Amino acid sequence: MRVLWVELRDFRNHAQTRLEAVPEGLVVAVGPNGEGKSNLLEGIAYLFLVASPRTSTSEPLVRRGAEAAYARGEIEAAAGRVLVEIEIPARGASRVQVNRSPVRRKRDLRRQVRAVFFGPDDLDVVRGDPAQRRRFLDEAVTSLWPLKESAVTAYDKALRQRNRLLKDWDGRGTPAGLEVWDEELVRTGSLLTALRADAVSRVAPAAEQEFRRLSGYGLECEYRPSVAGEDLAGAFRARLAERRADELARRTSLVGPHRDDLALAVRELGARAFASHGEAWGAALCLRLGLAEAIRAELGERPVLVLDDPFSALDPRRQAEVARGLSGRGQVVVSVADEAHVPEHADAVWDVSAGRVTVRARTDGRRASGVESGVEQGRTPGEA
Amino acid sequence: MYEGPIQDLIDELSRLPGIGPKSAQRLAFHLVKAPAEEAKRLAEAILQAKERIFFCKECGNVAEGDLCRICRDESRDRTVLCVVEEPKDAATIERAGVVRGRYHVLGGAISPLDGIGPDDLRVQELLERVEREGVSEVIIATNPNLEGNATAMYVAALLKPVGVKVTRLASGLPVGGDLEYADEVTLSQALEGRREM
Ligand SMILES: [Zn+2]
Repeated sequence: MRVLWVELRDFRNHAQTRLEAVPEGLVVAVGPNGEGKSNLLEGIAYLFLVASPRTSTSEPLVRRGAEAAYARGEIEAAAGRVLVEIEIPARGASRVQVNRSPVRRKRDLRRQVRAVFFGPDDLDVVRGDPAQRRRFLDEAVTSLWPLKESAVTAYDKALRQRNRLLKDWDGRGTPAGLEVWDEELVRTGSLLTALRADAVSRVAPAAEQEFRRLSGYGLECEYRPSVAGEDLAGAFRARLAERRADELARRTSLVGPHRDDLALAVRELGARAFASHGEAWGAALCLRLGLAEAIRAELGERPVLVLDDPFSALDPRRQAEVARGLSGRGQVVVSVADEAHVPEHADAVWDVSAGRVTVRARTDGRRASGVESGVEQGRTPGEA
Repeated sequence: MYEGPIQDLIDELSRLPGIGPKSAQRLAFHLVKAPAEEAKRLAEAILQAKERIFFCKECGNVAEGDLCRICRDESRDRTVLCVVEEPKDAATIERAGVVRGRYHVLGGAISPLDGIGPDDLRVQELLERVEREGVSEVIIATNPNLEGNATAMYVAALLKPVGVKVTRLASGLPVGGDLEYADEVTLSQALEGRREM
């Protein structure tokens, strides 16, 4: 899968950025922090996810003084070209057109195009609380199988309904209708548990392999579901029965996928507590690379990789290892703050400054070696 | 915030289901700017509906008298009851013309998030009706979403000791959706393929 061209208008600090003929292979956006390279990558990710991997509200996405941000682009997939046009108003829902027809649900786009995003916030998947890892698990499920997003939302709704019932209970007898919410929790929760287990069984081996290549030793990555067993629904019901008294006392649901975790360990130590900063960063990055590999295996086609600042926290040896490992993965869009981190074998380099992007000229088949010698060209339309 | 009658109107409108403060404001200003007759017609229609529309004593559907049109109709099969959430769902199924029996309107679905428990629905009335009228089959046609499903399970469990046959609309209806949006073909297929709970 490949982004052919992308255009951002009033998107964060990009007034008007259009990049044509984005090559297959490694594309590097370089520029100091705060100039707009992460925003550019965010815009590219938005084309695939109809959501920002960095913020849950659209207001920060809209350039100051503008009413709405626009992200447009064309993605080449095995099944054909997909023209994506998104209008993101500061308030309210985004409007999405795919091949000039409006789509109602995000998943109608997501099933056609796939990207995997890595950003500095991903460190929380390793270092943060279990909720961060559950979010990663659900992202893995929905990016592997976009139509299964409903399983994630159904469980969430069932849990909220059941928790509200327990919370509002007047304390006499048992809450009215608790049995049906038990069943809804079991039905939606068993499905989600099975999907998460399936996702981990595909992502973990690939992530472990990526990490080994990076570090020389393994990363253990194991799903720890709240409820497990051959007969998932039966086990779930049994656990609910066991915890019934506790649940009524604490007035909240204590059993189910909302208590799952993903255990990560390096050198047999829990990654959350023991991994060095570089190891934790590497583990977070390798989880995303592993997810991309799992999607490739499932779909028969590589997702676009969008990696926001993947190198900065790594030591030089790991940096070089990651950079080398980014070729042969289809289209990979990477941002770096430091010119020294631009890999030699990059297929295109974009200089990002003050929300403007300049495509660096290539000289005799290789890209120019630096800004000084680079010929400025390919200015974005509407400028110059 | 505004003052006086305009704010009163906004407050009243924003109490309506599906109307947020913004929409309430837009509607209020539309009404204020509209010709006086338009506002009068709307107010009159609301009052008329309030005075003349009742809920059927039997099934809970909208009616113009004690009983609704369907409950008054002697030709309907009295042994089959179709349980729906709202009067509009009965109307949807009626349009598809696939139920020969009568309806029972629950008045919503179980949803703790909306403060609706089983006691807020007409389930006790359903139980009494089934026992009193010798009903042999109850078709549960609540919406194919989480709350509709929970409600269906609740009703089915309640009816089990009575020994009546309880069926649920077959899948094929858009999951997570609303009965309202199902077309007639889908609806009649869902009814034909209903399975016992
Ligand atoms: Zn009636």
